[in-house]
Order: sequence, then C-alpha cells, then structure tokens
Amino acid sequence: MKIVILLLLLFPLSGGVANALLGRYLPRRAVEVIACAGVAGSLVMAAVAIILLGDRSHDFTYWGWFTAGELSASFNVHYDPLAAVMALMVAFVSSIIHLYSVAFMRADEDYVRFFCYLNFFVFAMLVITVADNLLFVYLGWEGVGFCSYALIGFWYRDPANADAGRKAFICTRIGDVAFGVALALFFVLFHNFSLTQINAQASSLSSGMATLLGLLLLWAAVGKSAQLPLTVWLPDAMAGPTPVSALIHAATMVTAGVYLLMRLFPVVSLSPTAMLVIAGVGAVTSLYAALAALAQSDLKKMLAYSTISQVGYMVLAVGAGDIVGGTFHLVSHAFFKALLFLAAGFVIQALAEEHNIFRMGNLRRLMPSVYWLFLAGAVSLSAFPLLGGFFSKDRILLATFLNPGISYKIFWFLGVLAALLTPIYTFRAFFVGFPERPDGPQPAAVRLPPRFMAAVLWPLAILALGDGLLNLPGGFGKNFLGNYMAPVPGARPDLGASVALEWLMGVGTAVSVIATIVLAYYLYGRRPAREPAREGWHEFLFSGLYLDHLYRLVFIRPYEAISTFLWRQVDERVVDRGYIGLAKGFFYPYWALCRFLWRGVDETVLDDGVVKGAGQLLRLSGGLGRWTTGLLSTYLTMLLLGLAVFLGALAVNWYLL
Amino acid sequence: MLHFPILTVIIFVPILGSFLPLALHRHPAGARWSSLAVTLVEIILVGSLFFLGLKPQAGPQGAWLLLEEYSWIAGFGAKYSLGLDGISLVMVLLTAFINIFCVLISWDAIEEKVGSFFFFILFLEGALIGLFLANDLLLFYLFWEIQLIPMFFLVGVWGHKNRIHAAIKFILYTLTGSLLMLIALIAIHILHGQQTGVYTFNLYQLMHTRYSFTTEVLLFLAFLLAFGIKIPLIPVHTWLPDTHTEAPTAGSVDLAGLLLKTGIYGLLRFGIPLFPNAAKFFGPLLLALGLGGLFYAAWVALTQTDIKRLVAYSSISHMGLMVVGIAIWNPISLSGSLLQMVNHGLSTSALFIMVGMLDERLHSRDFAALGGLWGKMPVFSAFFLLFALSSLGLPGLNNFVGEVLILIGAFQSQPVIAILGFCGIVFGVIYILRMVQDSLFGERRGEHELWDINGREALILVSLALAVLFIGLHPTPLLNLLEHPVQTMLHQTQQVALLGM
Repeated sequence: MKIVILLLLLFPLSGGVANALLGRYLPRRAVEVIACAGVAGSLVMAAVAIILLGDRSHDFTYWGWFTAGELSASFNVHYDPLAAVMALMVAFVSSIIHLYSVAFMRADEDYVRFFCYLNFFVFAMLVITVADNLLFVYLGWEGVGFCSYALIGFWYRDPANADAGRKAFICTRIGDVAFGVALALFFVLFHNFSLTQINAQASSLSSGMATLLGLLLLWAAVGKSAQLPLTVWLPDAMAGPTPVSALIHAATMVTAGVYLLMRLFPVVSLSPTAMLVIAGVGAVTSLYAALAALAQSDLKKMLAYSTISQVGYMVLAVGAGDIVGGTFHLVSHAFFKALLFLAAGFVIQALAEEHNIFRMGNLRRLMPSVYWLFLAGAVSLSAFPLLGGFFSKDRILLATFLNPGISYKIFWFLGVLAALLTPIYTFRAFFVGFPERPDGPQPAAVRLPPRFMAAVLWPLAILALGDGLLNLPGGFGKNFLGNYMAPVPGARPDLGASVALEWLMGVGTAVSVIATIVLAYYLYGRRPAREPAREGWHEFLFSGLYLDHLYRLVFIRPYEAISTFLWRQVDERVVDRGYIGLAKGFFYPYWALCRFLWRGVDETVLDDGVVKGAGQLLRLSGGLGRWTTGLLSTYLTMLLLGLAVFLGALAVNWYLL
Repeated sequence: MLHFPILTVIIFVPILGSFLPLALHRHPAGARWSSLAVTLVEIILVGSLFFLGLKPQAGPQGAWLLLEEYSWIAGFGAKYSLGLDGISLVMVLLTAFINIFCVLISWDAIEEKVGSFFFFILFLEGALIGLFLANDLLLFYLFWEIQLIPMFFLVGVWGHKNRIHAAIKFILYTLTGSLLMLIALIAIHILHGQQTGVYTFNLYQLMHTRYSFTTEVLLFLAFLLAFGIKIPLIPVHTWLPDTHTEAPTAGSVDLAGLLLKTGIYGLLRFGIPLFPNAAKFFGPLLLALGLGGLFYAAWVALTQTDIKRLVAYSSISHMGLMVVGIAIWNPISLSGSLLQMVNHGLSTSALFIMVGMLDERLHSRDFAALGGLWGKMPVFSAFFLLFALSSLGLPGLNNFVGEVLILIGAFQSQPVIAILGFCGIVFGVIYILRMVQDSLFGERRGEHELWDINGREALILVSLALAVLFIGLHPTPLLNLLEHPVQTMLHQTQQVALLGM
C-alpha cells in the first residue's frame, strides 16, 4: 500500500521530469505517450489503492524534509476514504484530459512545455489529496498554483494571457497568507503539522482559537477556490488552453480549497461562528456567480462563473457540516464541468477560436456528437431530476436547511435562488449557441477537430449523467458514498431528515428546475437571440458586479502609484540625496578650511619657503614619477610587495620571536 | 586537534593563488584557467573539512569544530585566531561555491586587464573566508576592511558607465560604518583591559566585559551601523542599487551572494553576542527596519525599469526578512535566517548571473529591450523562471524552507511580526512575477540577435539549480550543521545577558 501511494505520486512527477529534461530531443509522439502514461499510471494506482483501502485509513512516512529545533516537516501521507475518492476522481479526470489534450494541442509547437506543466500539475494536485503534513500539503498547494499560473499564461506572446496568469497567482497567494499564518498557529498550538494529529487534538482548542483557525483556513480556501471576495481571477483564467480550464479551473484545483476545509473538518467544525461564515461565503458566492453567469456571452466565461457558483455550494456544504454532500457535489461537478469545458473547447476550436455564443449556432447539424455531449453536461449542471448534480445539490440544500438558526435558512434560500438561476444561465448558453440559426456558422467555415477529441468525452458524459447512483437518498444503494466515507472524521452518512421533508425538497427542486429550463427556452430558445447591448444591468452583471473595477481602483492603482512614489520621491530624492546633502554639509566647511590653508596659508605664507626648497622637491618627485606609471598592474605589484613584506614580518614574528 | 593549519590554508590558498592570474596577465587564457584551478582547489579543501569527522569540542572559548591560534600583535593582545563552527563552515562553503561561478561567468565577459580582474576576485574570496573564520575582533576588522578594496576596484575598473561614482559611493558608505565600528572595537578593548587587566581582542573573552547600559547601547549602535550599511538595512541602503547597477556581473554576484551576508554574519557573531542587552533593547528597532526593508524594497522593486536594479532591490527585501529572523533570536528563526543566507546567496546570485548573460547578448538591461525571450531562448528562460520561483519562495525550492523557518520561529514570540512577514511575501510575488513577465513573456522587442545558453553557461546554471533543488528538498544536512552553533550561541548570549544585568 505504501508503494502504491508512492507510485501514485511518482508516476506524473517522473513523466513531467522526463519530458522537461528529454522532451526536446524526443519525437512528439513519445512526449505524448510519456505524459499520458504518467497520468494513466496514477489512475491505475488510485484504483488499486481504493480497492486495497477497505474502510480504514493509512498513514505512511516516506522521507524527512527538514528539522530545526522542535519544528519538523516530512513527506508523509494520510490516505483515507476522502483522499481515496478525491485521488481517483483527480486521476480519472486528468487521464481523460491528457488524452483530449493530445488532440487539442496537435497544432501547437510548444507541446513539451504544455505536457510538462500538466504532469506536474497532476502530481501537485495528488500531493494535496493525500499529504498529511500540512507543509507537504502546502507544497502541493503552491505547486498547483504555479502550474495554474504557467498554464493560464501558456500562450505567453499575448500579454493579456500572461496578465491573467499573474492575477491568478497573486490572488491565490493572498489567500495563502492565511494558510501560512494558520500553519504557524498550528505549530505554536500543537507543535506539529500533521493533519491527523491536529484533528485528533482539535477538541482541546479554545473556542476563540477554533474560530480564528476556521476563518484563516476559510481565507486560504477562498483564494484557491475563487470564492468571494477573491473570485476575480477565475474568469480571467479562461485565457488558458481549454483542457487547462477543464482540469485546473473546474475539476480539480479550484476544489482544493474546499478539500482542505474537509480534511481539517474537525478543526473547522469546532467553531459555530466559523461554520456560519463559511456557509455564508459559500451561499453568497453561489448566488453572486450565478447572477454574473447570466450575462456572459463568452461560453468559457459563463462556465467559469458557473464553476465559482458550484464551488460555492461545496463551501456551503462544509459550512452546513455535511462533508459527504460536499464531496458528492465535488465529484459530480468534476465530471459534468470537465465535460462541459471540453465540449466547449471542441466547439471553440472547430469555429476558429470563436468564444461568443451569439456567433455560434447550427451545432447540432455541424457536430452532433458534441451537441449531445454538451447537452448531457448542461442537464447535469442544471440538476435535472435523477441526474448526479440533482442529488448532490439537493443534499447540500437539505443539509443547510436542517441546520438550526435563521441564518442557515437565509443561506438555504440564497442557495435555492442560485439553483434556480443555474438552469437559466446554462440553457441560455445552450439555446443561444447550439440550435439552428440562419446567421450561424456554415459548414464551409468549420474545421472539425479529430473525432477522437469528442470520443474521449463519452466516459465523462456517462458518469455525469449516472453518478447520482453514488449516493442515492433512498432505496437501493442508499447513502453509498456516505457510508463509505463514514470513517472520515466529521462525516455524517445520513442527514437524518424526515422522509417527508426529503420528498418535499426533492420534488420541489425537480419541478422548479424543469420549470426554469422551460422558462429559459421561452426566453432564448424560440428565436435566434441577439447579443444584448452591454449597458445598465446587463453590464453590471457582465463585469461580475464591478468587483474587478473596484479592486483596480482601490488596490492595484494605489499600489503601483505608491511604488513609483517610493522609488522616485522617497528613495532617490529624500533618502539618497539626503545623504549627499548631509555629506556636503560636513564636506563644505572642511573644503573651505582646505581652501583657506591652500590659498591663505600655503601660497601666501609658505610659498617663499617652498620655492626655495623647490629644487630638492623636484628631484624627489622625479624619482617618484617613475613609479606612478598609471598602469594598474604596477600598482598591484606594489601592493603585493607591501603585503609580502607584511606577511614576511608576521612569519618572522611567529617563528622567531 | 589537528596540527595541520587547514583553516589558514583555506584562507591563504585564494589569497596567494590570486598572484597566479596576475603573473599571467599577459596571457588571458592562462589567467582564466589558473583562477578556475584556484577556486576548484579551494572548494576541494573546504569540502575536505566534511571528511575530517569534526565534532564540536567545548573549550575555554566556547564550542568549535576547529580552532587555530597564533600570536599576532602581542602589544595589543591581538591574536591571529580562527575558529570554525557550523555557521562558519556553511558560509565558507557558500563562498567557495559561489566564487567558482564568479570566475566562470567572467570568462568571456571580461576582456580587459583579465589578470588583475581575477586577482581581485580571488583576493576577495580569501578575505571573505578569513572574515567568516576570524575569532579575534581585530583580525575580523582587518578582513572586513580588506574586502572593500577588491570590490572597489571590481566596480571602479570593470563596471559600467557610472562606475566611478558607484565605486566611490560604495566605499564612502561602508567606510563610514566601519570606522565607527573600529572606534567601538578599541573602546571595548580598553574597557575590558581596565576591568580585568587583560588586553585582548578575543571575542569570547570580550563577551564578559561589563558595561553601563548607555555604553553598551552606544557601542552596539556603532556596530549596528557598520553591519546595517552592509546588509543593507533601510534607510542606509541606497548605495546598493547603484553599486549593483554599475558592477560587472561577477562583482554583483560577490556583492549580493557574499558581501551582504557579512553584515548579517557580523551582527550575529559579534554584534548581538557582545551586547545582548543592547541588542534586546534595540530588538524592536531591528524588527521594524527588517520588516520595513522587506516591504519598502519590494514596493520600490516593482516599478524599476532596469532589471538588474529590480534584482538589487529584491536583495534588500530578502535581507530584511533575514534581519527579522536574527532579531527574533530563537532557534527556529535563527536557523531559518542562516539557511536563508545560503538560499539568497544561491538564488540571487543566479538571477544576477542570468541578468549578466542578458546584458552580454542585448547590451541593455532595460525592460523596454526585454520581453518575449521564451521564444528565442527557451532553456535560458526555463532556468530564469526556476530561479525566480525560488526567489518568491515556491515550496520544494530553497527559499521556502528558510522563509518558513523564519516566519514560524517569529510567530512563536511575535505573531504580529510573523503575520506582516507572511504578507510581505505576497509583495515579493508581485514584483518577481512582473520581472518574469516583462522579460520572458509577451512579444519580442528589439532586433538584437539572441542565442540560447552555451555549455559554460549551462554548467553554471545547472550547478546552481541543483543546489537550489537540493536545499529545497533536503536541507537537513545544512540545518544539522547549524543546529549546534545556534544552540551554543543562544546559550552564550543568555549567559552574557545575565552577567550584564
């Protein structure tokens, strides 16, 4: 088992290293095979590990990392059902996306760099998944952050792409400040970084400390998972190649924040205040992003906002104390959102990089397989009755509703609102972009990518439609995932709701989802829609409620202005010239004195004497002149001679005296 | 105890070896190869220290791995006294390692007065190693001053356009500080002599001098000014960007990689142990200056137009964090600061080396002339990105370990300082990503012909990258070396502080 987990991590790492070192010298096919084999190896290992796991958990230490005083960090893992499910999902989605990428990147010359980063990403993500020592988790955490940065800006020639990557890195780093502080706090409290140890001792925390830790971890998660107020980087991150958006910015990395909260759930759940804030952030974000998604005309940006909204549900699940529901939604979201992104990537590539849904259309005729694939993803995202997304979202809303207190009822209401908006924005994109429209693209303008690129998506589609079976609320296989996750600290297999409430909730959601899809059809599907002018409310929603503008105004501009000010005004003018002024202040009186000595004393008083002695002086300076050759090497020889004499004297001093 | 004076040999191999290139100044190739040979012999000698099975031995002068002592100036009680502990060993190793690259990077870049150039490089190496080994205050001061001379010439003769201005600024700043230190040093010598009748410059004996609080504060301030200018602490840092901008690449590497470290080393080895109570009194000041430097320099770095100046400001910012670690003065943060000296020595040297490579190709370091390098020089760019990431503290690379140790150590006693430090790291990310983006990414600007790295450059970069990865993934050997001296030092200062109360 120890070896299996090690191999799980080492496969993608060695794939990445091999391609980084040798990729330039290998044929293209070999690079692709190495990259895919690395991830496929991980998938096999993840599958073997989950079979071997049973219902226990395993802890292994591989190597020590560093030790100083009582602080020690090591490369160790904690593999439990939660990690097992996550690892399998990550390895599976990564495998599909690697295969897809082989076709997607077929015309790109920089494929070596792409596959390197992609393999490193999978490695780092798996580290987050299984690592036990929080510093080791942090290694993965920053690793995925870097890969995300590098891949968003993959097409670096366009500065806008590189800007987007930089924005993502800095935003997540702002979140990481809290992670760092939490790490330090854990060390001071427990003298330990192992999350199993920390979880085991969590109950000894005072309530204030628990709240503080909960909020710090939330802030860390907010950066990584693009929740309010750090949502702004994710829509921009769509500048990266589409497989990257699917893998990093939908299925895996953005859920890392939620995953961290679930791994440390015993700490987080200690504080009702922290839980309330977590739930609040999740609920408000899910509604915020759903509103913003309503106005997007870029297919990928719509999906990005939708991702923020769906991850909001997962955060809400943690806040509502239901990590089973959170995991369930995390997994089903990974399937359907990866599917949607990859299908979108197919469409965009076929239509010569057209992202705007209002300039798409006729897709059922042009690329039927992708039409159906996207539809499968869309119904699952909309939580269409009896599909995966339906059960997982329903469970989260139910868990929220069951929490005591008016606040949770409000969060539930916000979650329901977002759930009603979800089918509208999803099917808005679908009805606008996919059906027949006379001004849409014609077959002549379409260059279909290889069929392989669509074919690899079918497993995702089947899972997206069918993964509700993982955790049905009743009947055969009831709470399968919940029971499986029972050993995870804090996991509740069953929410304990009354059957009536469950039915009421389920049927209510089902009816309203279908109703809103019909509404979306009436709004957008009956005739080809025109792209609305970006003004008023539409502009407000389109630009993500002006959050980006606000940050630019409040943070970025002042930061840059202060930077220039400090350099030009403070550093160069005040500090540097200040010293020069100070030096001059000392120097001028001295200089005046020297001048007086020269002009006053030397020339007028002593001159006569000097003139008399001039003959002798001249002879002397003639002698010196031979040495002042102006050649550096002469000076050096002199210097060395002096040094030699000095050292000689020293030697004499030691040995003779 | 070893009878062979290996420490003396280690100091004097580069100093005497520096005559070789000078003697061969008519044969540039000979000068180059002989210098390389000297640096290689030196690293082998330093490396051999690891195979002597040295164990810290507690003696009358504290615990040292090796001690060498000969009489020097009997009249003043000054001795030629060298001591090797884990801290010195790490610094000496770093010096020997970095200097190989100083020679290699200057291989083609220096075309005039080649012999003299390498003479100064090797002489500086010897002086630095002497400085890291000196146990006697006067000997330390001698090496401290000697290192200025080669640096002055390196900048003043082989530098860029405003080299004379920069060299003079450098010498004026550092001399101002060190003269005050000389006065303080003599004062301690006399005070100790008056108290005990023993006139000495021995560090361990001087630690037991008693002062009135005012005297201690004044003496400490004199030391602090000397070290603070060298580190450099704000607000006495403005000589550094100018000197870096004008210095030849090898000069910048020596300056950032090693000379700045002498400031921290002096503070740690002499400043704080001699005056623990004053150091404690000024702890908040040190913290403020360190944190101030961390933020201020990171902020100023962001909008620089010259990439070398940006790296220079990044140095000030990084040094600020190390000062925080020193000021906190607990085992974890102290180990972190010491490790960070090595880390900064590697990463920043690498960045200066790479900026030098760009300068050789483009004859410019202005961001306006950079951009889009990835397309033309992918291998160079990958290395540049690696060292930039190391500099911004990506886990798995060297800087992360140092930063984490400093900040977690700081959090134990001063949580607020640590939190500010964590925030400061984000400031670092901002300017480093800007540097990466404006040099590697975007469209290629300018018409200059570019070529990717050659074999010699690859050798330099691969060695540094391996060191960066090694410390990032397995810093234990270095931390083990540091552990014992750190404990000893903490223990000693505690004792001395009690004495002074």
